[in-house]
Amino acid sequence: MEAVRPVPGSGAGKPGWQSRVVRVTPLSGSAYEVELERPAGFHFAAGQHLRLFVGDDGRDYSLASPPSAETLRLLVRRIEGGAVSPALVGLPPGAPLSFSGPHGVFALRPSARAVILAATGVGIAPFLSMARAGASGFTLLHGVRAADELFYRRELEPAAARYVPCLSRQSSPGCFSGRLTAWAGAELAAGTARDFYLCGNRRMVRDLTLLADERFPGSRVYTEIFF
Amino acid sequence: MNVGTGDKGVTSLLTGERVPKSHIRVEACGELDELGSVLGALAAWLDAGQDAVRREIGWIQEQLLHIGAWVAGGPRAPSADAVDVLERSAELMEKGLPPLQGFLLPGGHPSAAWAHVARTVCRRAERRVAAVPSPEALPFLNRLSTYLYALARSSNHLHGVPETQWKP
Repeated sequence: MEAVRPVPGSGAGKPGWQSRVVRVTPLSGSAYEVELERPAGFHFAAGQHLRLFVGDDGRDYSLASPPSAETLRLLVRRIEGGAVSPALVGLPPGAPLSFSGPHGVFALRPSARAVILAATGVGIAPFLSMARAGASGFTLLHGVRAADELFYRRELEPAAARYVPCLSRQSSPGCFSGRLTAWAGAELAAGTARDFYLCGNRRMVRDLTLLADERFPGSRVYTEIFF
Repeated sequence: MNVGTGDKGVTSLLTGERVPKSHIRVEACGELDELGSVLGALAAWLDAGQDAVRREIGWIQEQLLHIGAWVAGGPRAPSADAVDVLERSAELMEKGLPPLQGFLLPGGHPSAAWAHVARTVCRRAERRVAAVPSPEALPFLNRLSTYLYALARSSNHLHGVPETQWKP
């Protein structure tokens, strides 16, 4: 059989944008903020993510910048032995980098229901983007191990109607001692339907989704899994 | 990705709605998933001389994922350009084939037999998607059936396997 026709590439998973590193800033422990130049013509919605490439390996990272920002900021957890993150956080200013995107549909939808945002670790990135874009009035749950991982707390707390930092391995004034899911199980009483936006590890996403089903029937649940 | 939120028979659409797994949109997505898998089985039977078709099937599988996202309530409608690609590819394949004399019995070379299976699964997916309804997704599925019929015939022709006419 002859070749029928070259198929158009979808471009979905392939690098399409060229950029350079502006700076890499350590946040705490294994977390870093990676700031990139924003290529001309690149547009995104708050909550969407990029696929960054180091060599042939690509990984998804949510944008923490608002759509109007001049640069692109990502929160990156350095994973020991990982194919992308150790190299990524080691890049010097000016290093070239390619990415595809924007990807995903994890964006705030217009709604009359109360909004609950929940993140673990660097899963806070899309909510940071949303808050920086002007979102407010939501309940924000952020689960981390220790208080120094509550990145951008000062920025997020004023935007939220209620901000609940949860520390799984530490006690600190003003923070819940325990997992985010433990706080939700104890404090979120059954009620009317809400909009849940969940971004983080799969256990948190699973437990809060099931809690939404049980206590808030008719809720909408939007999820983004971080590893 | 399975995170265990569906153990009680409920799942999420891309609209955020939590719906039973018997929901018509979930059913349609399942049919599209099955179609993508059958296309993978078909691709596994293509030989070295059919690399272009293999690439094209990979592209079709990507389009089916886009369509599935749309059927599940995603924000981006399937591309009309993709329909044109399928149509032209089917026409190119048909050009090298003898004219149809009537109905054919599905079968022949394994790649052709799988193309027929894919075609029938495609028609079922089309019916489920039509019931959603999700009209923007239908032209691609309709043309894909035509494409798969042409591919089945073309594959038998390439391998020297005669077509079996239906003799009512």
